[in-house]
Amino acid sequence: MFDQPTEREAQELIESLGLRFEPGVDDWAGFYDNGRLAACGARKGYVLKMLAIAPEFQGTDTLGALVTRLILSGLAAGHETLFLFTRPQTASTFEALNFRILATHGTAALLEHGPGFEAYLAAHPAAPGRNGAIVLNGNPFTLGHLHLAEHAARQVDRLYLFVVSEDCSVFPFAARLAMARAATAHLPNVTVLETSRYAVSAGTFPAYFLKRRDEAALAQMRLDLDLFAGRIAPAFSILRRFAGDEPLCPATRAYNEAMAEVLPGDGVAVSILPRFEAGGAPVSATRVREAFAAGDFQRLAALVPPSTLQFLRSDEARPIAGRLRSPLKGA
Amino acid sequence: MPILRKSTAGTMQSSDLMVVVEPAPTLQIEIESTVKKQFEHLIRSRIEATLQDLGVTSGHVRVSDRGALDYAIAARVETAVHRASQE
Repeated sequence: MFDQPTEREAQELIESLGLRFEPGVDDWAGFYDNGRLAACGARKGYVLKMLAIAPEFQGTDTLGALVTRLILSGLAAGHETLFLFTRPQTASTFEALNFRILATHGTAALLEHGPGFEAYLAAHPAAPGRNGAIVLNGNPFTLGHLHLAEHAARQVDRLYLFVVSEDCSVFPFAARLAMARAATAHLPNVTVLETSRYAVSAGTFPAYFLKRRDEAALAQMRLDLDLFAGRIAPAFSILRRFAGDEPLCPATRAYNEAMAEVLPGDGVAVSILPRFEAGGAPVSATRVREAFAAGDFQRLAALVPPSTLQFLRSDEARPIAGRLRSPLKGA
Repeated sequence: MPILRKSTAGTMQSSDLMVVVEPAPTLQIEIESTVKKQFEHLIRSRIEATLQDLGVTSGHVRVSDRGALDYAIAARVETAVHRASQE
């Protein structure tokens, strides 16, 4: 029978199978046999994780029942498409449940269930050509981003500027997208797109938002890059990815290093440009946020394009400055 | 029968299917199946016939099939539509 397991029961089962327990999920599903937890799985947002089945129940349809529970839970929470992390050797078990593999790297595979990537591509028709891409958070959009975009746009037929959709940053997604659009409006061959969940999202790369640097973060980074090289790049004819070098943020720097290591092997060249400087120091979103929190608009004018400055002066941006000044400021 | 709200029926168990129905301006049917290559046309025609019998002319129907037989397909679609047509 199905019931909600306690975290302790779930942790015991998950760890007995050599999987990692991660607390803090939205929902648990558990299957009991004679009062003992035989299978469990969890959902956090649109990500299914920690699906664990005791050996004597593997190969039965316990997994189908468990996944049904979690999909219904996801649908009830408004998630049409669900992500799942698993080991590459168990990916085929989930393919039999109509999950599709998005990316695999080393010890991890990322799968999805639902309309997902196909629907994303249908909503964003791609231009043929020798195209390039920048993936950025734009928190907020700086002169550094603008110079990178202008440089990249000159090298390619069309430049796709993917703005990270995940709302884990201090500037909300809608504002980051609007700033990127406004700042690049003068570049006719630039298309600004949302990444949805398909690049640097809480689904592909949760550690990015936690600024964690460990084995798990490295594995996620590589999975994220495999998804870019395997799915995004072919769909948008992207032959080169551009990034600014990162002197300040260690997480972004590690991601740049992984990018230069992984993508060329998959047919995507990588250009890492020296960071644009102002006033003898590199321009970064971190610096911009500091100046914005301090209300130093004179300093900001040297760091961001006029369109971003205009946004930062707007009423909409005022609560963001307040959040930046609070002790729990977002990155 | 009008599709007034989102509803589901079925499971992801072997030989079953899960149906998600929700309101949409036109009729759209999306099929995922472990046997899609061989049987998508049969699954689709069974779904279309069932919707026609129920008088469903618009809605978004998503099916995740695990090799269900055609009467199971009809039953699950019918159940989802009945649930979706109640306020």
